[in-house]
This record gives sequence, structure tokens and C-alpha cells, in this order.
Amino acid sequence: MTAFLKLLFRNRLAAMGAVVIASILVLAILTPLLPLPEPNVTNTADRFQRPFTEGHLLGTDHLGRDLLSRLLWGTRLSLAVGIAAAFVAATIGSAIGIIAGYYGGRTDNLIMRGVDMLMAFPYILLALAIVAALGPGLLNALIAVAAVNIPFFARNIRGITVSLAGREFVDAARLAGKGHASIILTEVLPNVLPVIVIAMSTTVGWMILETAGLSFLGLGSQPPQADLGSMLGEARAALITAPHTSVVPGIMIFLIVMSVNLLGDGVRDALDPRLKSGALSRPRAITQVDRTSPAPATPQKGVLDLQELETQFHVGPRVYRAVGGVSLHVEPGECLGVIGESGSGKSVTALSVMGLVASPPGVITGGAVKFGGEDLLGASYESLRRKRGDKVAYIFQDPLATLHPLYKVGDQMIEAIQSHHKVSKSKARARALELFEAVRIPNPTSRLDNYPHEMSGGMRQRVGIAMAMVNDPEVIIADEPTTALDVTVQAQILALLDDLRRERGLAIVFITHDFGVVAQLCDRIAVMYAGRIVEEGPTAAVLDAPAHPYTARLIACVPELGGGRRRLEAIPGLPPVVDNLPEGCAFAPRCAKATPDCQRGEIALEGAGARAVRCIHPEEAVA
Amino acid sequence: MGAYIVKRLISAIPVLFGITVIVFLIMAMIPGDPATAILGSYATPENVEKLNRDLGLDKPMVQRYFIWLGNMLTGDFGRSFSLNRPVLDEILERFSATLILAGVSFVLCSLLGILAGVVSAARQYGFADKAITFTVLIGISVPSFFLGMMMILLFAVKLRWLPVSGMYAIYGGGDLPDLIYHLIMPALALAAVATGVVARLSRSAMLEVLRQDYIRTARAKGVPEGRVIYGHALRAAMVSIIPVLGIQAGFVLSGAVYIEMVFQWPGIGRMLVDAILKRDILLVQGGVVFVAGCYVLFNIAVDVAQGLLDPRIKT
Amino acid sequence: MSLFRLTRRTVMAAATSFLALGAATLPASAQTPPGVLIVGQIAEPKSLDPAAVTAVNDFRILVNLYEGLVRYKPGTLEVEPQLATGWEISEDGTEYTFTLREGVTFHDGTPFNAEAVKFNFDRMLDESHPFHDTGPFPLAFFFSSVEKTEVVDDMTVKFTLSAPYAPFLSNLAYPTGLMVSPAAVEAGGADFGRSPVGTGPFTFAEWRSNEAVVIEKNADYWGEPAGTEAVVFRPITDANTRVAEMLAGGIDMMVEVPPTALGQFQGESFNVVEQAGPHVWFLILNAKEGPFADKAVRQAANYAINKEAIVNDVLEGTAEVAAGPTPPAFAWAYNEDLDPYPYDPEKAKDLLAQAGAEGAELTFFVTEGGSGMLDPIPMGTAIQADLNAVGFDVSIETYEWNTFLGEVNPGLEGKADMAEMAWMTNDPDTLPYLALRTDAWPDKGGFNSGYYSNPEVDALLEEARTATDQETRAELYKQMQEIVQEDAPWVFVANWKQNAVTSDRVEGFELEPSFLLQLSSVVKN
Repeated sequence: MTAFLKLLFRNRLAAMGAVVIASILVLAILTPLLPLPEPNVTNTADRFQRPFTEGHLLGTDHLGRDLLSRLLWGTRLSLAVGIAAAFVAATIGSAIGIIAGYYGGRTDNLIMRGVDMLMAFPYILLALAIVAALGPGLLNALIAVAAVNIPFFARNIRGITVSLAGREFVDAARLAGKGHASIILTEVLPNVLPVIVIAMSTTVGWMILETAGLSFLGLGSQPPQADLGSMLGEARAALITAPHTSVVPGIMIFLIVMSVNLLGDGVRDALDPRLKSGALSRPRAITQVDRTSPAPATPQKGVLDLQELETQFHVGPRVYRAVGGVSLHVEPGECLGVIGESGSGKSVTALSVMGLVASPPGVITGGAVKFGGEDLLGASYESLRRKRGDKVAYIFQDPLATLHPLYKVGDQMIEAIQSHHKVSKSKARARALELFEAVRIPNPTSRLDNYPHEMSGGMRQRVGIAMAMVNDPEVIIADEPTTALDVTVQAQILALLDDLRRERGLAIVFITHDFGVVAQLCDRIAVMYAGRIVEEGPTAAVLDAPAHPYTARLIACVPELGGGRRRLEAIPGLPPVVDNLPEGCAFAPRCAKATPDCQRGEIALEGAGARAVRCIHPEEAVA
Repeated sequence: MGAYIVKRLISAIPVLFGITVIVFLIMAMIPGDPATAILGSYATPENVEKLNRDLGLDKPMVQRYFIWLGNMLTGDFGRSFSLNRPVLDEILERFSATLILAGVSFVLCSLLGILAGVVSAARQYGFADKAITFTVLIGISVPSFFLGMMMILLFAVKLRWLPVSGMYAIYGGGDLPDLIYHLIMPALALAAVATGVVARLSRSAMLEVLRQDYIRTARAKGVPEGRVIYGHALRAAMVSIIPVLGIQAGFVLSGAVYIEMVFQWPGIGRMLVDAILKRDILLVQGGVVFVAGCYVLFNIAVDVAQGLLDPRIKT
Repeated sequence: MSLFRLTRRTVMAAATSFLALGAATLPASAQTPPGVLIVGQIAEPKSLDPAAVTAVNDFRILVNLYEGLVRYKPGTLEVEPQLATGWEISEDGTEYTFTLREGVTFHDGTPFNAEAVKFNFDRMLDESHPFHDTGPFPLAFFFSSVEKTEVVDDMTVKFTLSAPYAPFLSNLAYPTGLMVSPAAVEAGGADFGRSPVGTGPFTFAEWRSNEAVVIEKNADYWGEPAGTEAVVFRPITDANTRVAEMLAGGIDMMVEVPPTALGQFQGESFNVVEQAGPHVWFLILNAKEGPFADKAVRQAANYAINKEAIVNDVLEGTAEVAAGPTPPAFAWAYNEDLDPYPYDPEKAKDLLAQAGAEGAELTFFVTEGGSGMLDPIPMGTAIQADLNAVGFDVSIETYEWNTFLGEVNPGLEGKADMAEMAWMTNDPDTLPYLALRTDAWPDKGGFNSGYYSNPEVDALLEEARTATDQETRAELYKQMQEIVQEDAPWVFVANWKQNAVTSDRVEGFELEPSFLLQLSSVVKN
């Protein structure tokens, strides 16, 4: 709860809304105790007194009644009506929605048709007709406003219930022999309740506006009782002569509705788990670079060179050090494997290269990425954009999510070309076709006009590869491109990448958690743990004789084809959370060979030639 | 697609039929009868009875319903007694006025709302975002009739820039510029609330979309940011914005009632309110069925648009 | 991101340029053209067929298009010739013979003659008339005493009444008695009301639904030609919008100015016109049951209500305190000796104490608006406050006008103790005859919703109705007023002075006590 409040109040607008509505509520509750004139006593001789006249802080209305007093009493009533109407509409609407969604089938169909009818009926006329039928009065206006909002709740809640009704826990309850009523009350309701509450909190303001609208049409509270709507309605006649009589209730309505809306938005956001992770923020076009120390001046090695790269995620007061000083390089025609468990920082490292880490919350805090003699981290957006996809291309995991679902794959290919080269659409299409053939997509011409959801996973991945290849880049960064695929498809794709690399001489940075894949494709590998490289070297050397205990354990996890009954060992424990890294070796808590020395001070990545390891008790000496 | 449209049209028939029943029952439930409304102070029981007989209201309810329904199916909506002319003539005339007002407002609220939402999302927490969020909040927190009256006071009475009310100038008008001139205030006042709703929704839909993997892909391809936002992201966001536009169309149509009263726009919303107050049964019934029918059609159009936009939806 | 780089500066620049553009390109406020009078009406007319309408709002247009056999003499409620040049009434008061004006033609060129007159009355009254189905004719009962209409010769027409009926002439002058062109009715059928043809100083030009009714000067008018080329009636239902249009110069004249807005028109550029009319605003008290069955309590209510405050403050002086059931506008029938009940809360309390009715709970029907109801909610609220101040306990129930009538007209018994009501009539007979007689109780088809009954009043009213001599009638009405005031079946609250505002470009405009809007002598510069 306190976490929720903290989150809520971090949103300054929501906090402002909360403060305003709270003060209005307090005032409304205290109204009977305040030393106010009677709200209904008329004194027509004193009518239309301006605000700040003596005895009438806000002036008087057309019958000489004290506006401040009427305003507070009216606010009290309007709030009560708004909340009550929201509550009634929410209760009945949700009940209808849950029943329709839960039972489904004909019940659902019948109920939703009814709701459709009500929605097609212009709502003001419905309200008007209800009030005309029931007679005037605030209670009837409340009924009318509630009634016209029932369909809104019924629709929303039905949608959620439908998705719940098919879920396992509901099935389980059904199998356990629970009755419908009991399932609805104990399984479904608790799950939709938050949605109902949020919807209700956002409709209170709307309800108050609606009731005011009915008063505008002359169907509201009975005189002399004041509610905000009827105050506004009664003051309308004098709008031009004595505008303050309409402005006063008008502003109060505005304040209430606005603060309720602000608060409602805030509550909705605060209850959304994604807000905590910062995921509700929009990622910028380019990762924020905020280097605490000057970029290293080391000259570039290979075609792409990462030097002391540090990337962090800043979420509230916490700092997650996802990448803690990684140096990597790749030569033309070379394939470098970056390997590690999920959360080791390998993907973030890869995304940092072209400034694709979602920011906020991501910030690159140090190091350099050198490409073509230039430091990409200091480059302008436009210069970086020109290199993205043209010089350095990415292949992502899970192409169902990474391809745009609403564009044809051919158009997405063409766009990749046209973003960098001024060529005609037909030329670009020809090039796309060429690539489709190169990645061995059957029927490439017709496939160009497919949407991603019309293709199989393997085909989609081929599209992803083709798209990365389309501008003949110098470097391809492949982030677990085969993870979601079955073994045969995976093998085909790896073979394909290998061919392409050899044919075109491009450099590949291949990110994976799978040693089998690495062995097949990579010349050299770097092993990452907790945001740092713990071992690197030529593939065969590392696989044959892993130096870091972590590497050794990782290799031990891989079942080897034809390797007989080797013991598969899981690594005990979990990778550390990177916002609170232990000093020294981050793997020490999980390491069988750890000594107190391991957690004392920085351990350097040391080695000779191509091999290096970050360990004071290596399995193999690499020197 | 064609088959889908036909299917949807057929499924709309029971809805429309239900609406005829609802509106008929509501009109039957409302106390006071047309004769009283016509006769005003002179409504003695004797006069009322005679007039009701003249109006054909002495028949049993069920019979009256089927007579009405039958006539309507042949295109005869009956005759409005409060306006003394055929219901359909009046509806068509008034509906076209509303269509202009609500249509322009709807386009305004869609364009402005989406644009505001997109800009706001693209510059999240920036000055533009805050400015837009604040303006939008004002829009959705002020009763539209109040906003309308304040606009009249400022722009028509004090500054005299814009006409107070009406659809065309009484003399020398009638052309398109004249219409636009008269349309500015009511269209803006009517669009205010819906713009706010659309903007808020567009903003959150855009924020949702912008953190999707395919946006990262687009950026990784080197697609210019303008195209990322207004192409890739907006297109994907439209999938969740369009259904809300459909709902907003209903609100704009209903909200037109207030605006038509304040700005004296000769539209159907005001006609229906007047007709309810005057107990002009046939006019109310015909008008509501007509408006509801248009609304249902519009929603089918929205669903079709949705299907065209999103290839994943099976139509 | 270069597409929409919205910064403070661009926002400001955009706003400024928008405003500059707005100021530069938009035409200046619409000036209404000279010779064309634009009138802000309170509602869209129902029809322009005089036999089919009931609302004063519609009458305001009709009297400029049509004429009746007789009319109210300008500035009075006295009847004078119009399409008839004279008339004779038979000794027993049942036969009226009119001589018609020669050389009058309808706007469609057909002649006005005795046949046309007969057509008009038969259409309304004779259910077998071929054009009776162009109705309904809600106010036909104004002439229900007409037994037959006969063409004596081309220019003479004779009405035979079933019984003497003194208000007959006055009813003829009422808009229901306006003469329409038979040829046009035959041509237009039920749609005649949208393309009206009469004999008046203006001819119908155009009716744009909910925008305007345009009438133009009748070049062939038999009398004094109209002072303007055209008159445009614009329906503007919202009072605020009407006021705003008037202030902005979009209309030249508006009627029924909301009292609170009158202050806006004090300047040089506007003229406010006032005219008392035959209107009375009262509270019906339920004399059959409850506290108001006691005359003392009814009188107490009359003393308790501060009518001065209502007319001067709530209505901003647009009405005067009513003394009795007959408005002073019926000068000849009004009893000058009658003084209104004074505002005397102490006396009211005493009366209540005597009657033992302190703390009586009262249900009060209030309407939201309606013909002649002025500002019913504020008035009702003020009345409620006054009554509560002397020890009643009043709760208000408001109803929209048509529901209100549906509740009040069948009688207040079992529902309410009091109800607001207002009448505008053309003859001193109408209101008391329909609303104060024992035979006018709701179950007998009248409007005596408070069940007042006094045989003396009944007798006076019957006698006045059949007497054809105005002085005799006047005497009878004066006696009636005295008794009714003492009996207090109503709380007599106000007599409305109708008002209108014109711009300074309008000349020669006067309001009529009949509430009709005669525009033929108005000039617009």
C-alpha cells in the first residue's frame, strides 16, 4: 500500500489531483459544521451581489442566497450523486458484464445485443426520456445517469471476464465442483474488481458532468436544494449580467472533474505493474549517453570495437548495472559469440552498440563504441541512424514480435532499403526478392506480400535475416536469432548465416546462451556474467578447456550429442541482481571454488594471446 | 470482406428492431400526451380526448406499434403533429445539419486528438506533453454547454469575430465560407470533450506501442524517427484507437444536443429534445430509430475499417 | 523527430498567427441589412396555419400574414373592424351579421369574400367538411357556440350562435379567427401550414426549418403598406443565446427578454419596450382538502408572500403585483377599487394560528417553464421561502411543462396543495369562466383544479357571459373580483408586462396588450 502511494505521488499531476479532491471532500464533509449562512434563505433585495462583498465571500445568486454556502452544500450533494451514480452503474453494469462473459454463448449474445441497443440509443435522449418518465428530481436524474452508463461497464467487464472464463483457475474451480455463483464470486470477481474500481474512479467525473448536463436541460434537483448542476442551470439566465453565479459552480465542477481524472489516471498507472519497471515510458530514438568519465582514447581494433562499455538502467532511485565495462571487438569476416545466461547483460551490450537500449530507463554511462574510426556513443542521432541497418544491422529473437504485424514483410524489407538508399520501389522490391532467395524462402515472390502472422517461425526468422542483409552491412549483430526455433530449422539458419558470412565477408556478433550453437558458428567467444566478460578466447580452446569456473559449469549444462550419459549439472543459485553486485567476483556466491579472496577487490581480466579470464582460481591457467 | 459486411448488416436488424420496441415503450411510459402538449392551458379532458382521437392515439398500444412499424417499413414515418409536416422530411433536413456539425467535430476530435496524443507520447514528460495534457484536461472537465456559452460571450459578443448562432447568415450567406464561419465555435465546443478522450487514449496507446519490439526493429533498420512515430507506431496504435473513435462518434452525436441548443444549430439533437418535451411521439420514435440506425451503420463501418487496418482480424 | 518539434516558441508563434489570421480574414460582425427586420423568436413555429396553432410565439408571425374579420384596436383590447367593415348583432345576441371589406384579395390572388369566411369556419367546426382533415384544430372550441355560418351575399356573412356568447367578437379578433385562403388550403392540404396564404401586409416568402421564417412586404396590400421590405423571424430557443445575438447585432428585435438580462440593454443603442397585457400569474390552492380547505389559511398564504419582492427583484420589474383574478389590462372590466393583499407575515402567522395550521406540510407543484409562466422556478423558490418563513413546510416538485399540465389540469386532489399557473386571455370572461366556476371542476371538463366553489360567483359569471352590453358585463365582473379576492382560491401574484428590446435602427415599434406582434408600421433603418 505504501509502495502504491509512493508510486502514485511520484506522479506530480496525480498528487495534485489527490490533494485537490481531498480538500474538496473534506470541505464537503465539514460543510454542516462550518459557520455558513443558510443555503436556502432568500433575500431577493440582495441578489447578484458580486464576490467578496461583505457577508458573502462569493456573492449571492438570483434570489440573494449566499453562493459560498450553496456551493459547499451543492458540492456535497453533487459528489454524493456522482459517486452513487458511478457505484450503481458499476454494480449493475459489471454484474451484467460478468454474467454475459462468464456464461458466454447464447446468454452472452442476448445480453450484448441488448447492450448494443442501449448504446445505439443517443444517451442524452435516453436519460431525458427516463427523467421524463420517472418525473424530475435528483434521485431520478441519478437513475438516468447511472442507467445510460450501464452499457459502458457491461461491455468493459464482459471483455475481461471472457478472457478470465477460459483461464486455468476457473476451469480448475469448475472441475472441483464449485457452483457457478461461487465461481463468479470467488474466482472471477476478485480478478475484475480492480478494473471495475478504476473504471468507476474515472467515471465519477463524467457522472457529475452528466448530471450537470441534465440540469442544463432542466431536469435536476428540486428547488431550493442546491447541487452544482442546478446551480449552473439556474444561473444560466443571468450568464451575461452576473457571470459569477455561473462561473462559481462552473469552476467547482471543473476542479472536481479534473482532479478526479488526474487521480484516476494516476491510480491506473500506479496499479499498472509496468510503471514500476519504467516500461510505461516511451523509449527515445536513441539511448541516452551520459558518460561519467571521458571516452577511452584507445585506437579501434577490428571493424567494430566496444571499449569499456557501461550501460545502466535507472529506475527510480535504483541503478541496475546491466553492462559493467565490457570490451569486445570483431574482425571483418569473423564471428564472435557472446554467451551467458539470461540477465548476464549480453543483449544490452548488443543493443548499446547502435543506441537501441530503451531509454528511459537505459543510460550508457561509460566507454566507447568505435566503428569506422568514429565513436558511435558521441555521434548525433542522424549519423547513427544512417549507420543503423546500413553498416551495422541487427537480427532479433522472436520475429513475431519484432516484425511489424500490420505491414507486409516485403514492404518492411523495402522500407529498410529506402531508409538508406534513394531507389525506386520496384528496384527495392527486386532487391528484397533477391534476399528472400538468398535466405532460401520458398515462393519468395508471393511471400513478399505476406503479413508476419501468415508465416511460420522459421520463415519469419529468415525474413529477419534477409532484412538485416538487405543493405550489405559490415557488421551483423544477431541477438539469439534461433532461440525460438526447432533444431532442424535452427541448424538451417545457422548454416545460412555461416554461408553468408563467408560469401560476403561480414562480421557477426552472435549472442546466445547455447554453447552448441556457438560451437557450430563462432570463431571466438566471450562469456558474460553479471554484466562483465569473465572469459574469452577462440571457440575450440574455450570449449575444450574452460578457464573460468562459470564457463566450465555452463558447458557442463549442455547435453552433447553422442556424449553418452554425462551428468547434467545445473548451476546452483541464481545470477545476481545487478543493482546490488557483490564486490570482487560476482560468481563467487555460486562457485564451488570460491575463497574469501574472490570477494575482495576488483579482479582483472587477464590472459595471454587470444585467451583471457577473470578469475583468481582458474580451472586452467591461460597465461 | 463483402460477406462479412452483409453478415454484420443482417445482425444489426434485431438490434434496430429492439430499438423500435424500446423507444416505443419509453414514449408510452412518459406521462403527458400530445393533446395536452398541443392544447396547453386549454387541455380539458374533453378537448384532449377529441384531439387524441383525431391523432389516432385512442387505439390499443400493441396495435399502434405494429401500425407504426408497418408504415415505417414502407418508408412512411408518419406526420409530426408538433411541426405539422412529414416526420421523414424533418428528420432528413435536421439530420443533415447535425451531420455537418457532428461530422466536422468528429473529424476535428479525431485529428486533433490523435495528433495531440501522438505528439504527447513522442515527447513524453516534455513541455509539449505537459501543455497538451493540461489543455486536454480542461477540455474534458468543462461541461460543453458551459464552454459554448463562454465562447459566445468572448468571441461573438465581446470581440465580435464570430456569429453567435445559427448555421447560415440570414442574408447574403448560404455558401461554404459562411457555413464554416458559423461552424467554428459549435464544432470546437462540441469537439472539446471528445478530443480530450481521444488524445488521452492515443497517448497511452502510443506509449504502449512505442515500447514494442517492432519499433526497436524499425529503429534498428535506420528508419527515420518521424516515420517510426507517425508510420510504424501510429499505425499500430490505430488498432486500439479506432474502436474508441467509434464510441466517441456516439458521444459527439449525443453531445450535439447541448451544442445545438446553445448555438441554435438546426440539428436533430435539439429536434428530438423538443419532440420529447412536446410529446411528438412519431417524431421522437422516427428520429431515434433513424439516429440509432446511423450509429449502428457507423459502427459496422468502424469494424470494417478496423479489419482493413489489421490483417490479423478475421473478417 | 523533426516533424513535430513542439516547443514553447512554436506554440506561441502558432497561437499568435492563428489569432492574427482570425482577426484579419473573418468578416466583421454581421450587420443586418436595412429594410429587413430580424426578430428573435423564442421557438420554431409549429405551423403557420392560424387554425392549427395555440402558441403566442406562432401568433406573432401569423398576425402579420393574415387578418381576421375584426382585430384589437392598437394599444387596447377593444375590437375594431378589419376584414369586416361592420357588423350587427341580433337582439337576443345569437346572430352576428358581418359586412365584408370590398377589394381584398389573398396573396394568391383569390378574392376574399363571404364564401372564404364560411370555408374558414366550416373547416374548423364541421367534421364533415372536406378539409376538416387538415387539422387538428385545437382552439376550435373558441367558436364552439357557432351553430352555422351562412353566406348571405358575396360580401355578407352571418353566424348563428347556439346561445348568446359575449366573448364571441373578442374571440374573432384572436389569431384563431384569422382568415386563410381557401384555394391555398385546397392546394396545400395538410401542408398548408408551411406555405401560408392570407390577406395581411406581408406575404410568406420562405421557411427554413429551425433557421428562419421570412415574410416580405405585400405590394398589393389593401391598407397602409408595410414599413419594411421583409421581416425574418429567427427561432432562438435559448434565452442566453437570444440575448447574445441581440448584443452582437445579429437580430434587431427580441421579445420576452429574460428579466436578468434587461440590465444589458440600458445603453443608447437599444430601446426597451414594455406593455402590460391580459396576463395573470397565480397559485392554485387546493380548496377541497388539506390546510387550504380553510379560507383563513388561503388568505394567510396571500399575506405571507412578498409579491413586491417577486415582481421587482426576481422579475426585475417586468411584472406588477396582481390584485385579483382579472388583470388590469381589461380596463373596462377591472375593479380599480381592489388593492392587492399586502405583504404581512405577522398577519399570516396570526391567521395560521387561528386556523391551527402552523407547520402545515404543503406540496407545491412548480413547472420549469411554459407559456406565460415567466421564471417559474425562481418564483416558486422565493414563494417557498416566504411560506416557510411564516410557518408552513413547503416541498416543491418540479415538472416539465407538459407533464405539469398533465398533473395539474385533472385537479390537485390527492397530489398537491398548490400549483403555479398563468393565463393569457383575450376576454375577461375566459379565465374565471374556465377556472373558477363550480361547473369548471376538472371532472366536469374545466380548469378549476383547486375545486373552488361559490354559487354567487357561478351566477355572476353565467350572467356576464350572456349579457351583450359591455357596461352590464363590467359591473358583474367587478363584483366577481371582489368576492374571489376575499375567498382567495388562488394566491394572486403577478400581472406580466411583456417586454421587447429593439436596436436603435428600429423605429415605430409598439407592443400590443394582446401580446400579438404587429410589425407592419415598423421601420428599420
